[in-house]
This record gives sequence, C-alpha cells and structure tokens, in this order.
Amino acid sequence: MSEKIEQVEGLDAFIVEGKIDIPNTYSAGAVGSRFLIELRDNKKIMGIRCPDCNRVYVPPKSTCKDCFGQLSEWVQVSDKGTLITYTVDCHSNNVQPVEPPIIYGIIRLDGADTGLVHMLGEVDLEQVKIGMRLQAVFKEKRVASVLDIKYFKPLA
Amino acid sequence: MTQKPEYIHIKYTKPRYYRWSTGKYMGKVYKEARDNKKLVTNRCPKCGELLWHPEPVCGRCKVYAGEDWVEMSDKGTVLQYTYLVVPMWNPHMGERWANPYPLASIKLDNGCYIYHFLEEQDPEKLPKVKRVQAVWKEEGRGQGLGDILYFRAIEE
Amino acid sequence: MANRVAIVGIGQTYHKNKRPDVNMPEMVNEAVRAALVDAQLRPKDIEAVITGNMETFEGVYLPDHWMAVEAVAFRTPGFKVSTGGTTGASAVEEGFNFVASGLCDVALVIGFEKQDTGDTTAAITACSTPVWGKGMATGAIGEFAKQALTYMEKSGAKEEHAAMVRLKADRGACRNPYAHLKLGLKSVEEILQSGYLVWPIRLLDFCPQSCGACALVLASEGRAGKITKKPVWMADMITIHQLPFRAGIFGDITGTEPYSQEVAAEKLYERNGITNPIRDIDMAEIYEPSNWEEMSLYEHFHFCEKNQGWKMVEKRMTEIEGEFPVNPSGGVLATNPIGATPTIRIAEAALQVRGDAGEHQVTRDVKTAVATALGGSNWTVMTLLKRSL
Repeated sequence: MSEKIEQVEGLDAFIVEGKIDIPNTYSAGAVGSRFLIELRDNKKIMGIRCPDCNRVYVPPKSTCKDCFGQLSEWVQVSDKGTLITYTVDCHSNNVQPVEPPIIYGIIRLDGADTGLVHMLGEVDLEQVKIGMRLQAVFKEKRVASVLDIKYFKPLA
Repeated sequence: MTQKPEYIHIKYTKPRYYRWSTGKYMGKVYKEARDNKKLVTNRCPKCGELLWHPEPVCGRCKVYAGEDWVEMSDKGTVLQYTYLVVPMWNPHMGERWANPYPLASIKLDNGCYIYHFLEEQDPEKLPKVKRVQAVWKEEGRGQGLGDILYFRAIEE
Repeated sequence: MANRVAIVGIGQTYHKNKRPDVNMPEMVNEAVRAALVDAQLRPKDIEAVITGNMETFEGVYLPDHWMAVEAVAFRTPGFKVSTGGTTGASAVEEGFNFVASGLCDVALVIGFEKQDTGDTTAAITACSTPVWGKGMATGAIGEFAKQALTYMEKSGAKEEHAAMVRLKADRGACRNPYAHLKLGLKSVEEILQSGYLVWPIRLLDFCPQSCGACALVLASEGRAGKITKKPVWMADMITIHQLPFRAGIFGDITGTEPYSQEVAAEKLYERNGITNPIRDIDMAEIYEPSNWEEMSLYEHFHFCEKNQGWKMVEKRMTEIEGEFPVNPSGGVLATNPIGATPTIRIAEAALQVRGDAGEHQVTRDVKTAVATALGGSNWTVMTLLKRSL
C-alpha cells in the first residue's frame, strides 16, 4: 500500500498523494427511470405535467415546485427546442462526457416549461446564438442515459 | 399480468485523487521514522501530557503545545485487538481487502495510545499477546506510521 | 430559553435495504409529506428547514440543494448539518435553536440517508485516516468489536446476553411497521450461529445499512397548542464531544476514560432534577450500533451500576412490557439510515409520549422519555421529552 509521498522543500512536512475510491450507484427512481427508458427504447423525450399550475417539467419531477402537488401526468415533448443560454467548457477533467471544448446549453424543448441541460454539436462556436432553434440527435446504441441524446444540432 | 418495473441505476466509479499535507507536526513524525527509526511526538507545556498524534494545541488545556519533541518508546502493552473476517472495501486502494494482520490499541511504555498491527495472526494465540515491540522496515521507509510493519510479541 | 419548543408532527418512510423506485429527493419527500399530514400543516406554514445527511455515504455533494422542492425548502431559511452518526440529532438541535431563539415559529427537521448508493463502511474508513493510518481503520465496526471484547472481559457478560438483546430488538421491529430488518428471530441459538464479520461481532450483532428518512415538525409554545392537542415538549438537549485517539473509543479496558455519554447524562439529569433515572424517566430510545454497546450504554446513562448492564437484560427489565423499556421500536439494530437514525430515535420516543406507537407502545405510561445519539469518535447528543412541562 505504498503511495507517492514527497517532502516539502526546506520543511519537516510531507505531501501524501492518495485517492478515495468508493463506487456509487444512484437510483433514478421510478419517474427518472421512465424518462431514461423512453429515451432508450423509443427515442422519445417525456415530461410530467402539473394540472393545477399547467407546467410541464423536463426532465420530469414527481413534485411540483409551486403547488407541492404529486405529479403523474406524463406528456411527450418535442425533440426540437430553443437555446436559452450556453457556455463553453475548455478545461479538461476526468468527469466530462466528451473531450473539450464542450458547448453546454440550456434548451427549452417545444412543449416544456423548464430547460434541459445538454451539449451542442455540429456547430461552430461563432454560429451559436441565444434563441437559435435546435434539434436532438440520438445515438444509435442507447443505454437509458441522458447521453443517449448525443447532442443538439442547429435546426436546418 | 404484472411486469416487474425496470429501474435504472447510474454508476459512478471514478476515484477522487487528493494530495494531503501532513503539516509540520505530523511531518516530524514522518521524518524521524524515516531517518532514525524513532517515534516522536510533542508534549503540552501545561499538563505535560504527550499528545498523540502531535498537535499544535493541547485539547484539554487549550494552550499552544509548541515543539517540545519527545521520543516515544517502541515497546508497549496490547489493550485490545480485533481482526477482519470478511474483506471490506478499502477506499484508499479501490478494492476489497482483508488486512491479514489484526489491528490493536497499544499503550506505549511512556504513555500514548497508538493504533497499529500485530504480527500474531492466529486467533488462538492472540489473547496471550500482551507485551509487544515495533518491527521497523529496514528499507524503503518514508511512509510515516507505515514504516513500522507491525508489533511483535516479546517475552517480558 | 426564550421559547418553549414542542414536536407537533412526526413522519417516517418505511425503511428498506434498497429503494430503486425513488431517487433521494423523492425518498425525503415521502417523510416530509407524512410529517405535514401528521401535523395537519401545509408547505407554506413551514418557516425554516434543517436537513441532516452525511454526504460521503452517498457521494452526492450538497443534497439539500437537490431536494429544495421536495423538502419544502425552496425559498425557506435553513441549512444542512453533518456531524457523523449524531447528524439527525444535531439537525433537531438546530431546528430547536431556530424556534427557541424566536427566529421562527414552525421549523421542519429532516434526517435522511439513502445507503444503497454507496458503501458506508468504506466511507467511514476513508474519512478517518487520510494521512496516518492507511489500512488501519476498520470502519466503525472495528471499534465496536474492540468494545465488545472489553465489555466481555470487564463485566462478565456472555455472548448469550448479546443475543438476548438482539432478540429484543427483533421483537420490537416486528411490531413496528416502519422498521427495516424484521427477521422473526426465535432463539438465542439461532443468533449464535450467524457468522463473524469482525471478531467478535457477528452479522446479526451489528446494525444494517438502510435507506430512509424521518421528518419532525417543531413549533413554539404559542403555535404548538393551535396545531395539535398532543404536543411533545422538548425539555432539554445536550451535545458532548470526545477527543479521538485514546485508550478505547467505545470501550476502555484501562478504566480511565470519561465517556461522553456519562458526562451528557450527568449534566442533563442535574439540569432537570432527575435523581433516579429509571424511576424519573419512563423509557429510552438509545442509539446502539451493536448489541454489546447497548449493554454498555445502560451503564453509561446510569440506568444501572457499572458492569451490570447485562443483568438488566437477563432480568428482562428493558423489554416492551418491562420496568424500563429501551428501544421498543427495534432500535438501530433493526433500522439504520445513518443521517435519519437519531431523528428516528427522537421520533419514536415522541410517539411513545403521545401514546401513538401502536403495537410497539410500551406498557408503562410514558410521561418522560429520553432519546440519544452516538457518532464519530464517541459524541453524544441527548434529548429529554416530556408530555407536559
């Protein structure tokens, strides 16, 4: 169990390099699972609607933010939407889904009242504009993950 | 016909890497262990207690402890021990591991309580292990308390 | 104390080994809805929300932000508390401080843990020794193994006594609809056959890893009477810490260590005029991670003399029908979602004071109850609950 330990220059102090490696398994829950399974099996993007507030949540939530109601009305939303805002990640770290530079956008899909965070693709950085219309591109091989959508490309 | 619902789980298995500093108090322990095969700690100027692990402040007296370094005996008495039967996940290694050596609380001869391993692995013989002495690594020291391999039972 | 504080609503999830059907916010939502229904309050009546959770066990950073909507915390004052095993009780203490100080009149306190997400023993091993002791920590269970050995040697308790404590916990759990492990254990022999995990702790001697949440609604004196006819008054709370790295964290063979439980109990009893604990208090919900530790805790909390804890078990004094019931709900041995467990101890003690514990209601009339929490390097939080002040 030896790891790299080096002495600090001129001091009686050492730097111990180590790691904390504990695998975690997060449950999507019944609601989250349905959203992911519809992406995988049917290339459909599903949301949940609150009948009292008339809001559609994408990704779906089981509790309404405003009225605390318990939600169960599933609706399908479009795979096309509008870019609300975006940012560009240029820095590399080991938890990114793809290599940088990555354009992250918040996209309001047609029919939804909330924004979906995802990546943009098939577009140059200079062409990205707030308010532009986008279209989801699905992967061929899908595994019930939000990354079953490869990215959003500009709507022709 | 009721089908068992499918639940999606998202796995995250990446280790988190860290660089921990020992600081100059614990760093002194590392240095003395590596260079001189000695265990040292500091002493509170007010109550005279040896503080293990070496601390900048004495917890009981709430005064600065300073750097009055004292060499600790490497002989001691076993207070209590335990040993793993089922291997447990070790986060610093990223795998299941059952330490073959029993872990013990040992009272060193000049006062401090230290946690370390015992050489004796036979459960039948463990209750008789009372007086012990540290066995140091001859080469490749610089791992802090890891420079002591284990404590060996001695006749006294 | 500026304001008197009462528990006016209690809610729990049905604690289980795994909850694949909900994510963390949805699980917490179940307990929150149950507490609001119990208190007959609406989300907008809650003026502060304190959550308690140990993040490393699930690997989710800032879970209280994730569940702002589900925990009725959206645009509501409050924060998250993490103090190791005592997390749930520290969260209750924070809620108590909010109401007692007059910062708000109605507070919601939630303790939760979804332990199917990670490996708790690994997480405890990770947080205890980053620099000076790789491979030395054996999680919490190693410390309790040493305590068990010390207790056996010092007091003369036998493995049969530990098994009797486990039977008592299972009997209580089978009568508690919310408990996790309901094993239907029948005999001491059955328990003595289960294998060792860390010697001498057997698989059945130690608490499980559960998924669950528990929520309490606290209210000030002015509002409590309007919300419920059966407020449970929080008469006193105390937190005592301990230094790490000593002769023995939970069991000290040298007999020289002061235990945080003893210091907490002595101060709490003195402040509240309790001179004979098992006469002046009617029942206790204590935090016992292992059955051996439970016998030791009877002594630390002065329910009996030193080294006599196992005799209380032999005489069946701590059963549901006994003279001084302890953990009629099954305790931590049956249910342990770490962040929620101390909150559950307070909730179960409050249910006993209200007379609402159903099948696991104790025979003795409960006017005063005590709930404890244990964590980290042996910290203690003790709560005193009363039917009337």
